[in-house]
Amino acid sequence: MKRPPMLMYMRIQGEKGGVGLWLPLFLLLPLALVVFIILSPLILVGAIVLWPSGWGKRAFLALRAALEIFWSMRGLSVDVHSGRQCVSVSVI
Amino acid sequence: MSDNKKKILEMLAQNKISADDAYRLLSAIDGGEGRRESNNKAGTAVKDKAKYLRVTVVPDPESERSGNYDRVNVRVPMSLIRAGIKFTSLIPSEARDKVDLALHEKGIDFDMRHMKPEDIEELIGALSDLEVDVVTKTGEKVKVFVE
Repeated sequence: MKRPPMLMYMRIQGEKGGVGLWLPLFLLLPLALVVFIILSPLILVGAIVLWPSGWGKRAFLALRAALEIFWSMRGLSVDVHSGRQCVSVSVI
Repeated sequence: MSDNKKKILEMLAQNKISADDAYRLLSAIDGGEGRRESNNKAGTAVKDKAKYLRVTVVPDPESERSGNYDRVNVRVPMSLIRAGIKFTSLIPSEARDKVDLALHEKGIDFDMRHMKPEDIEELIGALSDLEVDVVTKTGEKVKVFVE
């Protein structure tokens, strides 16, 4: 079973200095769940209105695909250096 | 039974070779097939283990010393590529037609509507064999590979 990403580390280094940032992704999931529960009546109404046109189903599939992409991000690493400047993103 | 083995047995029956020679030749064929089989198994195992698509750009040492260089190191999980390809099925038909047309204009006859989950697996499998190794005029080494 795939595990969701837990942390994201971003680092941007410029000529004069840099900044590093740890993002706790594991905190995003409970937050997203709370937002989803609060907005669920609106989402339900939106789905009922949009379902006949086909966009409701598409929106649900897009949400599922977005979650799948988020779940698959563990291990992603981008590291770009140009002279003294550098941008790094790692998903752990 | 392989054609080679049949030929050896026919030659033995026609007394063209001795029993010892036939035995030696048959053993050599069996050994070769065994090695090929184990190589194939190893290749499949490597494909199954392929986890990341890597793209690296390594500058040449001189430009690195001078401080004027670009270095890139990207690692993309295969599962993310798989999920991304699945995402293409959600592209609205109007946009998909435009993409297909643009690809057709570039000489790529590829219809995204006919993309099936089996095709995705085949595509990922083909990616596992991918290896690009380029050295530019400025001495930069560009590598794209799967690990």
